[in-house]
Amino acid sequence: MKKCKCKCGCKILKLLAKLFGVLLLANVALFVVFFFDLDGKLLFHVVEPFLKKHYDNMERKDTLKTPYDVAKYVKPDYDK
Amino acid sequence: MAKKIPEFSKEDLSKMLKDFWYGKPHGERRLGELYIDKKGLYKHREWRGVKDTMYYFYMIWLYNYIHMVRDVIRFGGVVNFAKGVWRYRWVGQTYLPVLHWFDRGLEGLRGEALKASAWHYRGMVASTIRQFQRMFAADTRLHGGKQNEIYKHNIAHNETVWGGVFYPWSDQYQNVPIEMIPYFVTCHVNCHTVLNYIDAVQSIGLPGDPCPMCQAEAGIFVLDDVPDYAPIVVTCNEACDASVSTSILQDWFWDKPLYALPMPMQFDDPLVKKYCMQEIEGMWKFVEEQTGVPFNWNQLVKKLESQNQLQEFEWEKWEVAAHSNYYPVNGVAQALYRIYQSQYGDWEIWHFCDKKVRKIMEKCVKKKINSFPNTRHRVIAWSCAPLFFSHWCTWAYNCWGLNVIINMDSLMFDMTIRTDSYDHALEDMAQYHMWAPMRRMAVGGMAHMFELWDYMQRFNCDMVAMYDQLQCKGVQGIHGMFEDEFRERNIHAFWIPHALPDSRTVTRAEIRRLINDYMTTVMHEEPLDPSLLDFDDSMGW
Repeated sequence: MKKCKCKCGCKILKLLAKLFGVLLLANVALFVVFFFDLDGKLLFHVVEPFLKKHYDNMERKDTLKTPYDVAKYVKPDYDK
Repeated sequence: MAKKIPEFSKEDLSKMLKDFWYGKPHGERRLGELYIDKKGLYKHREWRGVKDTMYYFYMIWLYNYIHMVRDVIRFGGVVNFAKGVWRYRWVGQTYLPVLHWFDRGLEGLRGEALKASAWHYRGMVASTIRQFQRMFAADTRLHGGKQNEIYKHNIAHNETVWGGVFYPWSDQYQNVPIEMIPYFVTCHVNCHTVLNYIDAVQSIGLPGDPCPMCQAEAGIFVLDDVPDYAPIVVTCNEACDASVSTSILQDWFWDKPLYALPMPMQFDDPLVKKYCMQEIEGMWKFVEEQTGVPFNWNQLVKKLESQNQLQEFEWEKWEVAAHSNYYPVNGVAQALYRIYQSQYGDWEIWHFCDKKVRKIMEKCVKKKINSFPNTRHRVIAWSCAPLFFSHWCTWAYNCWGLNVIINMDSLMFDMTIRTDSYDHALEDMAQYHMWAPMRRMAVGGMAHMFELWDYMQRFNCDMVAMYDQLQCKGVQGIHGMFEDEFRERNIHAFWIPHALPDSRTVTRAEIRRLINDYMTTVMHEEPLDPSLLDFDDSMGW
């Protein structure tokens, strides 16, 4: 029974150590992204130009062709 | 030949360690050297000492990225967000690099000022996500032309209509301003997006000299870049006749039942106030008729009282800012948060952020923490600010020690609203509605524009930053009178010319140059950080 407990304990310790390692690595990686402004650089050099190209080429409705129906919804004077 | 290795004395090493641990003192930071030329990106973000850098990393940068994702999920979901980003330029081009907006506004800040100012930004980001996600969740264009339940429970209105007039329906309906997120906030976060909309409205033959705000607000409709998210719309004439033209175009392009809620210019006249009260009641009738839901007095009282709490805390903040050096909020955070919160109306995030800021402010007062120790001048900023360079005050403090204590936009809604009777509530709501941004102290008559002198005294300021919106005929008309008054009263004042959202007319670099000139030629002062005097950020967000 004792042996079994020790094995379980070791496994848990190993798992915790692994988890700690992964968290530490993730922290370091995120700090590098933060400190060297890699998020800004990615957005500026890659994401924004890509999206701008997409928006520039997007087909848009010619809003000037919308009928000028200003009287369509005219209702009684709400002030009275 | 072997290279000579520079010698390090014990003092050098100790200084290096001290700078690493605490961050460099103000005069040695050379923040301008962190920028990549033209782009405004950072070679690396600022090292503020171990404690503040870690605070920025965990509690601002990481915290806000995580909460942005959380907000996107809880306010409409990732799918609606992705569809919206793909469809609308103003969200995709603008809001993805939002953390850079934080960086620009919070540059150089340390300790409690860093914390308190960042909470203001958090409030604005949450509110922005809530609004555009509500638009996308309801948008018929993103949902195969269907008008879903969310669509049926939205009310659209001009951003210059105070959100509080919709409180009686706020338990069932959500009011979402049409332009606050597609136009106003974009200019602060990415100043390039709005140029598409200004150019669009001029491309259909409209003149280029009216207010560029109104041009941009119409331009998003010309480019068909507005979600179709609500069955009814309420417009208003604020700030000027150019806004009326915008509303006409919006009415044309949107083609929905519309109520035009006027905002009187001469609001001091009691008869005009009565007229305004009638107009608000008229708008309530319109909403009742269109939605089929009756006016809810209890809901109105509940929301007004909640909003009054926000105003009461704002007064506490003003007291600390006016009478001590312990106010922990910088100029840009104060200005943007206040105008956003007071115009949009009551919502839980403002209470959450105010609670955080209260704790920080009370600590500063109790422990006598001066968050801006290099203040050379206490500045009041007056008139309407350049939206593309709202963070000029952060730059001005870092470069010259100019500490913007308060600004005009913060001071406009200087009132709570009575809830003891229907008549009192309506009267105060009309007053609040009429004291709108760009109305009370910008185009609301000389007496109100000259409230500057009282507020300058009240906030113990010794210098004025006078904004000069070059395309606002109202403010242009009184420019010379301000010049005369500054001379007569012997007040140090520098002008900041700009074209509100349009960063091409007067650039950020030109604004910096004008302030530099004033500080050297008139004030005969030396910069605190010479690296910030002149740099090129023309391509920057």
